[in-house]
Amino acid sequence: MKSRPKPYVFPEYCKGCGRCIDSCPKGCITMGKEVNPLTGLIPIELSLDQCSGCGLCISACPEPFGLRAQETEFEFELTDPKSFNGPRPKPLVKPFAIPGEVIPFAQTESLVTKGTYASAIGALLAGCRHFFGYPITPSTEGAELMAKLLPDLDGVFIQAVSEVATVNMMYGCSGAGLPCMTFTSSPGFSLMLEGISYSIGAELPGVFVNIMRGGPGLGNLGPEQADIKLVCRGLGHGNTHAIVLAPYTPQEMLDLTMLAFELTFKYRNPVIIVGDGYMGQMTGRVNLPKTMIKPGIPEWAVYGDESHRGNLICSIELNEADLERNNIHINNKYRQMTQNEQRADLYHCDDAEIILMACNTPARMAKGAVRELRKQGLKVGLFRPITLWPFPIDLLKPILSHTKQIITVEAGNGQLEDELRMALSHHNLECPSIDHVRRFGGILPQLKEIIEKVISVEEVLA
Amino acid sequence: MKSSIFYEKFERHAHGEGLKANSTHYCPGCGHGLAHKYLAEAIDELQIQNRTVLVSPVGCSVFMYYYFDVGNTQAAHGRAPAVALGHKVANPESIVISYQGDGDLASIGLAEIIQAAQLGIPISVIFINNAIYGMTGGQLAPTTLMEQKTSTSPHGRNRIMGQPLRMAEMIAQIDGPMYVERVALFDNKQRNHAKKAIKKGIQLQVEGRGFSFVEVLAECPTHLKMTPQEAEIWVRDKMLPVFPLGVKKDEPREPWFKLNKPNFDPNKLKELVGGTSDKVARFSPGFPHHISPSDISLKLAGSGGDGAQTAAMLITRAGINEGFDATHIPSYGPESRGGTSYADVHVAETEVLSPASPNPNILIAFNAPSLAKFGPHVQNGGTIIYDSSIITAPPIFNHGTIIYGIPFTQIAMDLGKVMVKNIVALGALHAATDIFPKETFLTAIRQALKDKCAMIPINEEAFEWGIRAYNGEYEFPGESVL
Repeated sequence: MKSRPKPYVFPEYCKGCGRCIDSCPKGCITMGKEVNPLTGLIPIELSLDQCSGCGLCISACPEPFGLRAQETEFEFELTDPKSFNGPRPKPLVKPFAIPGEVIPFAQTESLVTKGTYASAIGALLAGCRHFFGYPITPSTEGAELMAKLLPDLDGVFIQAVSEVATVNMMYGCSGAGLPCMTFTSSPGFSLMLEGISYSIGAELPGVFVNIMRGGPGLGNLGPEQADIKLVCRGLGHGNTHAIVLAPYTPQEMLDLTMLAFELTFKYRNPVIIVGDGYMGQMTGRVNLPKTMIKPGIPEWAVYGDESHRGNLICSIELNEADLERNNIHINNKYRQMTQNEQRADLYHCDDAEIILMACNTPARMAKGAVRELRKQGLKVGLFRPITLWPFPIDLLKPILSHTKQIITVEAGNGQLEDELRMALSHHNLECPSIDHVRRFGGILPQLKEIIEKVISVEEVLA
Repeated sequence: MKSSIFYEKFERHAHGEGLKANSTHYCPGCGHGLAHKYLAEAIDELQIQNRTVLVSPVGCSVFMYYYFDVGNTQAAHGRAPAVALGHKVANPESIVISYQGDGDLASIGLAEIIQAAQLGIPISVIFINNAIYGMTGGQLAPTTLMEQKTSTSPHGRNRIMGQPLRMAEMIAQIDGPMYVERVALFDNKQRNHAKKAIKKGIQLQVEGRGFSFVEVLAECPTHLKMTPQEAEIWVRDKMLPVFPLGVKKDEPREPWFKLNKPNFDPNKLKELVGGTSDKVARFSPGFPHHISPSDISLKLAGSGGDGAQTAAMLITRAGINEGFDATHIPSYGPESRGGTSYADVHVAETEVLSPASPNPNILIAFNAPSLAKFGPHVQNGGTIIYDSSIITAPPIFNHGTIIYGIPFTQIAMDLGKVMVKNIVALGALHAATDIFPKETFLTAIRQALKDKCAMIPINEEAFEWGIRAYNGEYEFPGESVL
């Protein structure tokens, strides 16, 4: 009969639980009597005269380096475990990236399509073939288009049990290194915040399109911009930020979605696209780009293959110094985003004394007001932040010297204005007079009231 | 055991310093270590180390990634099955193992585990049930036994705290899973079973057969305030009567889970999104300044099913085909599935700035409430076109609008298809306002119906009849069928 290896134990790796004692049919194992000075625990003792090498004790030992089979002779002392493990059958490969490709996309005529569709098409062009989501008006059409098209592209659409599950499916998919996205609206976005915080902590990409609706609570389905605070300042718990893009036409719904995928992988951080309800629902002209993306697999991914086995996706750092280091690392990324990614559209700002500031659909009304007021000879311009975070203060700064008045135009209670004021304060810029036009509850500021506000302010300035 | 699945050195455990380099963070006698060991053996025996993605939960096993030399992901509390599904669909070749405790799976993560089970996509779930919260310090779990004392049931679990939740039985009655078993760790026989069950659950995934769920009754000596040996006896004597061991479901299935590699063919994508390289012909001599200097505002209103949204879309498309800017905003939300349905359309020479139409230049009303509601807001000098077969007594508006009654519905019914009444309306719109040439509208209609070519003639006819009716060339049949 072939002799089977008998167990051995390093006392330092034995916690003295004694599970092995009962498991041994021969009574070879007893609880020791002396505390091990290294562990403060009492390890078991082996007396192997009767041992048949059945291995039951090894199966009963909860520690990976506890009871082990003695397959070769070696000295019983605490050494590098490599010396008794021998070479690894599958050594770790240093993780490497599989690069993506930019593929030419044929010139086409303009599409006539709605904002959420344009965003979904932008995602497909950016290489997204994985969609997770939960239906919520007024964002659902984007998910519906993905559900329709992805099967034909051998992609995956999963309708999750909730927004909470959605963001965590995204965490898994982007953890595997693939581009993925969701469409949601305000209440659903609230539910995703925990997962977004985890994604930021674990440095995962992911594109979130939040078609904002009237709140608080269940609110209504009308267009509002009352999640700006949430996306700029409140992405779940902890030290969180993400680039926030604010489109104002169906065309930008497509363009900024494509940009979002680029930025989310560039910084390994989620990117949020916010639009009011009209941005989701509005149909208009959309031109397709000249190229599309075939994504690769980044070096850091946990794809489930040999070249990525050594990776870990994780946001927990139990040691305070480690977590501080991680925060400093994340802060550096935020700094880079702030330096590199500020975007804004300036319309008639060169000589403007009154600057309207608005994003999404209200920016269209504000632009209309600028056009009307310029006809009347008023020096009015529109400053339209495209990135709400980072706030495009570097683009605002040069025009402040001739700006006497800023008027924010919002479908909300001044959350964009708060971003403006905070940016001015952080840059020690003298704050010009700030006034506002605000509507709530699913009502957008109208051209007429913007014009009236500008005229009333102009009279005071004059 | 010579395992290559555990790291040789636990670098992630306190930076691999001292004894922690080769020792787990678990308390003496904890069941997690055994489950880990059997999992490692299964990965080894199935030769899937390079393909394995292990999802660590929140709970005592949050640090599984310290030990397993596989791809590792750490999930939010309760969400491991959702994260696992994300990994699995991202790479169907990966072997994804979701490992959760009872607080994680049976409390905060109930929705996620039930959905994962319902979907039945092959992932392997290992569920450690020790009847208590370990990591947070011994609180009541959904699986805590009646009368069991915990730090949040200091007088023992009573009726008001509900009764223990039997997850294996619950999961087994869902159609998705193919294999569900409850095992234990308290003696050699049970450990042997546990090892086999864990391996089987993973093997079914490797073969692409289905979702598996293995519940492991485990000891938590620390929070049971027992020795490891007492805890083993407690599981055997107290937990088993509530959580009976055994196979709860074992349904043979053929391998089915397979996903193709995602497609990145630009021509395919172009076709799917409706992109076309064909130039669209233009017919308009220029922007219809006679309606409004640079931005025409329209409202189309009726009941759900009148086709107001489709007509609005066709006007938008027509405007864009002619090289103008155009937008369409539907009324959306609950009312769009019945009740009123209205659409705001703008056509602008260069850029639409205010896409809403509170004071339209043109109103098309399909029913009386719509006409009454929006009629008064039409701009001075604007145009109202209404369905005279539905609205027999239109209100009188005191501003300078021009009002046309056209029997949209009657004409459509005469044509045998009430659905085309919105196209009749577009014909009348063309005739009444000359917003775009006839061919512009017909081109937009043909584009919209390119996948339903058989419908084109009747729509063209409906459009023609809209024009004729405006010109007074439509005789209302003597007997109304309405």
